Amino acid sequence: MSIAPLTTDQSDALQEVVNIAMGQAGDRLARTLDVFVELSVPRIRLVHVSEIVKTVRAMVNDREAITAVRQSFYDHLRGEAIVLFGASGCLDLAVLMGYATDLDALGEQELLLDVGNILIGACISGIGAQLQADISFYPPSIMAEYASLDRVLVPENLAWEYSLLVEVNFTLENSNFKSHLLILMAEEGIESLRESLERLMAAV
Amino acid sequence: MDRPTPSPELLGFIVDRVSVGVFVVDRDMNVVLWNRFMETNSGRSAAEVVGHNLFESFPELPVTWLQRKITNVFVIKNFSFTSWEQRPYLFHFRHNRPVTGGIDAMYQNCTFLPMKDADDEVAYVCITLFDVTDTSITQRMLRSALKSLAEASNRDGLTGIHNRRYLEELVNKEFSRAQRYGSMMSLIMLDIDHFKRVNDVHGHLAGDEVLRNTAKRLRECLRDVDTFARYGGEEFAVVLPETPLEGALIVAERLCHAMGSNPITFGDLALPVTISLGVSQWVPGIPCYEELIRRADTALYQSKANGRNRVTIYRE
Repeated sequence: MSIAPLTTDQSDALQEVVNIAMGQAGDRLARTLDVFVELSVPRIRLVHVSEIVKTVRAMVNDREAITAVRQSFYDHLRGEAIVLFGASGCLDLAVLMGYATDLDALGEQELLLDVGNILIGACISGIGAQLQADISFYPPSIMAEYASLDRVLVPENLAWEYSLLVEVNFTLENSNFKSHLLILMAEEGIESLRESLERLMAAV
Repeated sequence: MDRPTPSPELLGFIVDRVSVGVFVVDRDMNVVLWNRFMETNSGRSAAEVVGHNLFESFPELPVTWLQRKITNVFVIKNFSFTSWEQRPYLFHFRHNRPVTGGIDAMYQNCTFLPMKDADDEVAYVCITLFDVTDTSITQRMLRSALKSLAEASNRDGLTGIHNRRYLEELVNKEFSRAQRYGSMMSLIMLDIDHFKRVNDVHGHLAGDEVLRNTAKRLRECLRDVDTFARYGGEEFAVVLPETPLEGALIVAERLCHAMGSNPITFGDLALPVTISLGVSQWVPGIPCYEELIRRADTALYQSKANGRNRVTIYRE
């Protein structure tokens, strides 16, 4: 399926929407965790499936083993979000999230799912609110634990050709914690996003 | 978007009768709705629970964690979830498989839904609780089957010790560790002397018993950290991690003695069985794990050539 790229106006509007949404997400996360949360300026691009691994690898430190949580969202916007966690710093979050500090393997999984869900939810709900699009979520699941990126994203297993990729990096004040949030919307999702953007632009 | 609204009676009926736990709390963690599923399973009626603090009614709940979880939904205004795979249940409810379950409580998946008011603030959090006991039991059976399958594929059927596939995997792993950290590692290859003769003279059942008994005796001489495997036919191998050549030599002598000192009994027969052994160790410069095996094998054939029932160390 071929896909028409977003027009300049649509791209600008989306960048603006995402910037505002992420600002709010950072604020809500900071209030929840009670620490300063730093977010990078979101980068948005259209990627072909063959480039997804290369693109993501460029964002994360390739040598590090990756732990990833994925979550689907549906309703007026439809896609999947992936949070890639670095190998270190996750336990710093345990305390902030009200978890015990002596986590076993399952406790750590639950923490990662919780953190993944919060990052994804804060960002996507923010985008939804800007676009006045209702969004619902499926439960998050662990996609990989301490695996190499090639095993997390296998192009042959991906049933889309083009996807819109929104990339944001998170870091926490006084912590090694860092994570990368990827929001992926494949062809069908892009079309409904385009409609939402058009509605927004018509309204202002 | 407008959509037709069903009557409150109909909605009330569904919420009450659906086979899913549904309850709602406000910002102060007071319960405002408690459906029939929750009543039946908790043994606490809505009249007892509604209007009261959730944690006062159920002090056994994990307060710190759950309060935080619900608070996050109010602040972040977003869905939240728990899965049985990490946290089997929120409430300790009886499950519907008292006979065939083999578990102690209903397994639950929970969803925390933010319910927003007109000002877009979260006024309530609605928690839905799904009984996933059946799913969890199926999953556990599947996992345990996969585990035994993986275990079986590493074992030799006749002797019950590890097989060659597993051994090679392990030698490779230990070899890489030695390459990386310079840690010590030794390998013993051993072979039952004149095994073909046992088969030819006493039959294959006797031969099988000799293999089984040899494996059992040798296993008893080894440490838990050592890996002992049937390499093929009547040939066995021992991987000794963190062990220098001198240590491996002592182990090899012990193995040799364990076999030679007592015959193996098979029915009325007492079969004297001896083994020949070869020992090699990892040294810097060995290119691959196969070379380590080849060296131990070379030493083993020297033991054979020198009259069997003995240990030889590989020398270049």
